[in-house]
Amino acid sequence: MKKIIAYIGLFFFAACFLMPFVIMLFGSFRDMQYALLSPAFWFSDNFQLVNYQYILQDGIFLRWIFNSTVITIAPVVSQMFFCTVVGYIFAKKVFPGRDIIFWVFMAVIMIPQQLLIIPKYIMFANFGWINSYEAMIVPEIWGIMGVFLIRQYLQSIPNDFEEAAKIDGAGDFQIFLKIIFPLTIPVVATVGTFSFIQNWNDLFQPLIYMTEEKMFPVTVGLASMLSKEGHFGIEMAGSTLSFIPTFLIFLFFQKYFTEGIQLSGLK
Amino acid sequence: MQNNQELHEQSHNQKQQKQKLPFKTRLKKNWEKYAIIYIFFVPIFIHFLIFQVFPFMFSLVLTFMDWKVIGESEFVGLEHWKRFFEDDLAHRAIWNTVLFSIYYIIPTMALGLILALIINSGVRFAGFFKGIFFLPVVTSFVIIAGIWGWMFQGTADGMVNIILGFFGIEPQLFLSDSDQALMVLAGLSILKVSGSTMIYYYAGLQSIPNQLYEAARIDGANSLKMFWNITFPLLKPIHFYVAIITTIGSFQIFDSTFLLTGGGPNYSTTTIVYYLYEQGFTSLNLSYAAVLSYILFFIILVISLIQRKYLGKDTQIY
Repeated sequence: MKKIIAYIGLFFFAACFLMPFVIMLFGSFRDMQYALLSPAFWFSDNFQLVNYQYILQDGIFLRWIFNSTVITIAPVVSQMFFCTVVGYIFAKKVFPGRDIIFWVFMAVIMIPQQLLIIPKYIMFANFGWINSYEAMIVPEIWGIMGVFLIRQYLQSIPNDFEEAAKIDGAGDFQIFLKIIFPLTIPVVATVGTFSFIQNWNDLFQPLIYMTEEKMFPVTVGLASMLSKEGHFGIEMAGSTLSFIPTFLIFLFFQKYFTEGIQLSGLK
Repeated sequence: MQNNQELHEQSHNQKQQKQKLPFKTRLKKNWEKYAIIYIFFVPIFIHFLIFQVFPFMFSLVLTFMDWKVIGESEFVGLEHWKRFFEDDLAHRAIWNTVLFSIYYIIPTMALGLILALIINSGVRFAGFFKGIFFLPVVTSFVIIAGIWGWMFQGTADGMVNIILGFFGIEPQLFLSDSDQALMVLAGLSILKVSGSTMIYYYAGLQSIPNQLYEAARIDGANSLKMFWNITFPLLKPIHFYVAIITTIGSFQIFDSTFLLTGGGPNYSTTTIVYYLYEQGFTSLNLSYAAVLSYILFFIILVISLIQRKYLGKDTQIY
């Protein structure tokens, strides 16, 4: 009896949660204007590729995907490296001021990004970074959350390996590359997947830093399609294409997401 | 006493010896010891000062200025802060955000808990279904909002209106109705976020020892009783943690308002961050937007401090 209720709940909620994605896929293959819902939406087998053709021929959409790729991949790679190094330094190195600095880092996490965006906008305008990739990449080359995750993880690892390597005459850099980095790969993967999702899905920051259509990432691009009262089918084709990278990352790294979310907390 | 003095002299001598080393050698030793810090940590720290600490302080300065995008900026003192206390729209925005939290926090927690209970009840393919429930969390707001807006069209041929029609309910206006719009947006956030609250609850459920349930079963407790007397109270630290995270998240809500309602109708979905965005980047009132961002910061700070105070005792879970 209890089992039956559990399965009914499971399938009911699974259907609810999958519904938006099914609508997205169906919509993307239908040549349909915004305001129409007829039974034909679900039951006709008239699948068309016009929306995809339209969006891929347009050119600007591919540019948006390219922009998103640039402002996502660069921070992901550099965060995976810098968060690990800095996390390692906090966990294993002793130097003056270390604990105070770490405390300051932890305090700064509480500052909402919305507070920093206005002064950053003024700064970036002065740097000439508005409508350029720098505005989205340079501030994101490392992250406090990633440093925190790596530090926590490394603190739980005994110093034995390091000590042994030190006796063999290895320097800090060798220890880091040959011992620490391989050990941290699971957490580094978590940092990377988080950073990917955050940057790929970010709307607020690029909305402010990118004002020219050709510099939009795909989130801002899709939002501009949405507000122009566009064509539902084309919008859904765009959504589907922009969803593919997220979905692939999710498919392969699901474990790291759920672990990471337990460790930190995603908005 | 004497001993102390000797020790003192000794350490003094050592110090002198250290200082007697030639400058170059000392520099070299220092470099060898701290190279990784000089090369990686110092630049990252400078980056931190430039992109986190400086903007934070600069933002405070901005609130006392009348910052012009073009032209000379001037010092105006507390004028913008005063304006905030007289600005009905700002108060409305805070109220809307609180209202949004009320619609959003409890359902998100409840749904997350229900999903975790189902997943944890020993159903087959639990990992697969966990993935389905988590999928909206990693999906961009833009995608889900586009679909949500289509489902909740306020016309008779909107999908949700058609479903409501089966139950004999009149077509609703949804996003065009100032009483309903915020609820529809909260619904979108519930769908988007409950996958992550599920993960927290799932971890919490797994940490409850099985013996407790076995003991209760021997005493003849039924499932409902076990849930209310064992599971629910033992999840207390998780309830608290999830409540704080969702509260902070709900005060930062922006994307769905921006995408679906533009703050309307009749300002009923103008949240703090949306109002901040509008003031700062549509009306180019950067200084006033900075005041609003500080208000947001104070609210979040208070919530975080409550978290520190109460969660401090239960941190062994995370």
